[in-house]
Amino acid sequence: MMKTDNASSNKIFYPPGGILLWIIIFLELITFGMGIIAFVYYGKQDSELFHLSKLNLNKTIGVINTLLLLTSGFFMAESVKGIRHLNLQKTKSYLQLTMMGGLLFTILKGIEYFQKIQAGITLETNLFYTFYWLLTGFHLAHIVVGMIILYFMYHQLTKKIATVDVDDFEASAAFWHMCDLIWLLLFPVLYLLY
Amino acid sequence: MEMKINNRITWVVLILLTTTTALITEFKYAAYFIMGISVIKSMLVAFQFMELKYAHPFWKTALPLLILLLAIIILLILQ
Repeated sequence: MMKTDNASSNKIFYPPGGILLWIIIFLELITFGMGIIAFVYYGKQDSELFHLSKLNLNKTIGVINTLLLLTSGFFMAESVKGIRHLNLQKTKSYLQLTMMGGLLFTILKGIEYFQKIQAGITLETNLFYTFYWLLTGFHLAHIVVGMIILYFMYHQLTKKIATVDVDDFEASAAFWHMCDLIWLLLFPVLYLLY
Repeated sequence: MEMKINNRITWVVLILLTTTTALITEFKYAAYFIMGISVIKSMLVAFQFMELKYAHPFWKTALPLLILLLAIIILLILQ
């Protein structure tokens, strides 16, 4: 049994997930955007160092991680559809797949970090890697927070009487997609542009 | 049903664009294509997955402008 509380009337002027979350999304994009712009700016100043450092990054892992996040985003969108149609099973299944995508992303990122640490590459190696660790690290922190939020939603859905607010669910989904948006800007600049 | 197909088509397009991006890094004007594709992918995620297409025009305008601005600044620095 599932009860929902969808107070979506008179929300025509509000984006899906709520206005507060979208303000956060904008602030996050601006913050990461400034970090990315600073990275590109300093990369232009010391192009040789940044180019050589970039060659050490595993592009394949970057591409796979992008595919994982996009696929996870697709599952999340389907999960939102499920809850709107009060289809508990569909919502839970797609939510599980979404979290699985996030988990695989985290594991791959962990492998990438492990390889870097094994090679003696840390935050202080050079300016490129300072940006690399900070930008990807903060992004990973968002992924972990996103997974915790999604797990909480999933936990609510597994209760005998599942009580989930559709607005809360949409807000959680918007947060998850925000991680996609940030990565879609971060990935090409860090891994692809020379 | 329509939404389901749209989400799936969007996902397939996103996967194809990501694969394309990874393959064109050696091209002469790769940076423009890579950032252009990145902006398109962001728009697809925002409008389709985040359902921004149903939001007020303010949001529908503000997000693309912000992402486009970031991409343009990056390309200007790279020039």
